Amino acid sequence: MSSSKPAPVGKAIDRGGFDLSAFKLGGWKYPAFWLAIGLILIGGFIPVFTGSNSWRETMFLILMAVSLASSLNIILGYTGYVSFGHIVFFGLGGYVGLYLITAHGWSLWTAALMGGLAAGTLALLLGKAILHLRGAYFALATIGVNEAVRTFINNFDLFGGAVGLEINFLVYKDYGGPATMQWLTYWAVFGLTLFIVVLSYGIKFSRFGLGLLSIREDEDAAMVLGVRTPSAKTWAYVLSAIVPGILGVIFFFRNSSIAPQEAFRLHRSIELIVMVMLGGQGTVLGPLVGATTYEALRSFLLTSPLFKDLQLAFAGLLLLLIVLFVPTGIVGWLRSRYRKLWRVLE
Amino acid sequence: MKRLSLFVMLLALIFTAVQCGGSAPAPAAPAQEEAKEEAAAPAQEEAAPAEEAAAEPEVASEEPAAEEAMTGEETVVTIGYTASKTGSQEVPSRGQTHGLELWLDQINQNGITLADGTVVKFQAVTYDDESAKERVQSLYTTLVEQDGANFLISPYSSGLTDAAAVIAETYGTTMITTGAASDDTYKKGLTLVYQLYTPASRYLTGAIDLLASLNPDAKKIAFVYENAKFSTDVVSAAQEYAESKGYEVVLSEGYDSEATDFAPFINKIAAAEPDAVMGGGHFNDGSTFARQLHEKETSVEFLALLVAPPELDFAELGDAALGVVGPSQWEPQANYTQEAADAAGVEWYGPTVADFVSAYQDKYGEEPGYHAAGGFASGLVLQQAIEAAGSVDPDAVRAALDGTNIMTFYGNVQFNTTPEAHGLQEAHEMVYVQWQKDADGNLVKQVVWPVEGQSAEPIYPLAQIP
Repeated sequence: MSSSKPAPVGKAIDRGGFDLSAFKLGGWKYPAFWLAIGLILIGGFIPVFTGSNSWRETMFLILMAVSLASSLNIILGYTGYVSFGHIVFFGLGGYVGLYLITAHGWSLWTAALMGGLAAGTLALLLGKAILHLRGAYFALATIGVNEAVRTFINNFDLFGGAVGLEINFLVYKDYGGPATMQWLTYWAVFGLTLFIVVLSYGIKFSRFGLGLLSIREDEDAAMVLGVRTPSAKTWAYVLSAIVPGILGVIFFFRNSSIAPQEAFRLHRSIELIVMVMLGGQGTVLGPLVGATTYEALRSFLLTSPLFKDLQLAFAGLLLLLIVLFVPTGIVGWLRSRYRKLWRVLE
Repeated sequence: MKRLSLFVMLLALIFTAVQCGGSAPAPAAPAQEEAKEEAAAPAQEEAAPAEEAAAEPEVASEEPAAEEAMTGEETVVTIGYTASKTGSQEVPSRGQTHGLELWLDQINQNGITLADGTVVKFQAVTYDDESAKERVQSLYTTLVEQDGANFLISPYSSGLTDAAAVIAETYGTTMITTGAASDDTYKKGLTLVYQLYTPASRYLTGAIDLLASLNPDAKKIAFVYENAKFSTDVVSAAQEYAESKGYEVVLSEGYDSEATDFAPFINKIAAAEPDAVMGGGHFNDGSTFARQLHEKETSVEFLALLVAPPELDFAELGDAALGVVGPSQWEPQANYTQEAADAAGVEWYGPTVADFVSAYQDKYGEEPGYHAAGGFASGLVLQQAIEAAGSVDPDAVRAALDGTNIMTFYGNVQFNTTPEAHGLQEAHEMVYVQWQKDADGNLVKQVVWPVEGQSAEPIYPLAQIP
């Protein structure tokens, strides 16, 4: 390894898989970076411009979906590992956070950080155990993990077992009342969305990110090139788990309760995969575009007088059209169609 | 070219579906439209500004639009709710929605005439919450802010209601809950949420009382239940109640929601030799459990299960259904009458049981279940509160709800008004049904508890059933 001149990817990975010194933020030089930031800023401030709480709720769902999809994209889009049970991190984070708030009186913010930490720790342990599996085996294993954690929580009395945990409404007074709490949590999700998009760029333009992309393209070849694939995959999994863990705490705090059946909904995991595929996996803008399109479409259909009784059928048909005609997702299709957009749509 | 053809065909399909969606009325729409049609033309014109005012978001959060319209001869109150038209709660939610729509139909025939001569009519706005928690807060915010809902009705299930309650409290909008039995929802400092269902903690306590009345010597109870929020809530409270009455809980086992093989639990029941078995969870698991108990010829003298027995489909189990007891929020055989109200010293309000059942059957062609009765009762209780308040002012209606103590076709309704459990249902009691055979040998559902509501004597013990 030392005598020959190693490739840049190999150099980074040689120092330990996920090497922070190799984690260079080069994405800011690209228009795509500023386009993503601009879109989030514009979208994030729509409720302020309109003064509408309905818009805030719609944007809350969209930003949460963008964050979750962008997180999933790190392991699915960059690394090529389809995680069907990614919602496990959202649920586990939510449980840890709500337990700390209800049982120990922690503030939402520290509890949210602990939720993220718990999700990251679970990903680290799982990564060591199941990331050596490939393809369908890994996908099946992630479903199994989600079900195993749900069953465990269902029987874990400390977290309320099957009954779950409830937030006392009076807790919201510590955050200025329920109306202020809803704005605070909205801005927290807005900040998290900015963070995960910046992180996505950071990863993609780092040597670590190039290592992940090489794993996606051909894992065996990546290993031959010197990428320590187990370590790189594990760190990618950890990074993709932390934000969902934090989001879980914020979401269930806002909804005032958590129960196993709603915290570990497999259906939600599949929705996240659809969002990433719809926008374009492996691109930074893809999850942003996919999640926004998916959530905006669902919100519109649900509340449209014309479509509200047919919203699922309509959404299904639309997704069918996209899968049939735009398999690389919206961003992938635009990139292949308009070469000049390559640097803009990353 | 083939792809293009497919694309065009799919577009045409979407277009057709959209057209169908436009012409097919949404569940709430008929009531809304019928209300408009049934109102006299001048009144309709006068109501129009009220409807427009009700759509103003600011008005909904600060001063209800309906209050502004009080000066007119007719005012329209907007009721907002989400229904689970898709997802896991679709079936019970549909019954709830049907009940509420029937109430809207009936109330809008004449409206409520207040003391100052104002006629109050109602319109409903509803969306599909997909049985998903993440949709609920967004949709209820839209209902309050954009649709100008003056009052809210809960979604179906406690989990979704928890999320909706936050929005109701945030915007100061009163919400009547139906289909949300969990006690916890009402014990966390809410002030504007009122529960119609008997709380989960009292779902099976009546079954224990029934057992005591049938066999004072019974001492041992086995609990086998679905390991989910609702059933665990119910069984925890039932176990506590049973122990307080001197019973010994000889078995307490939870099973997974997807369980289909109950053999291990049945073996444990056989070993424990209880005097009664209680538990269950939802329809599929409960009916499978009852069937397997019967197939294995397990000696069980008293069997009470949640949710499944009150459903008409439970009769498809045949002999396995015979003698099984189940708690229900309401049954068509329930004996709630003017006389019963007089005897209890409370006000009677609304249609009789027979009138409700007949109207429901006329509209939907089926017998109403307790979800439908709960939906109808949610509107009825709101109607009663507006009448008692003599106004649609939210504060006045809230005060009237706090003071509600009535008997309706659905049973007694009275709310807890203490800060610790404000809105928790205090007076409504479960009825307990048992599947029995009529003279022709057909399986029929009978109310066997409480005594005052009995439509037939309970069969006990099950081993003696011919």
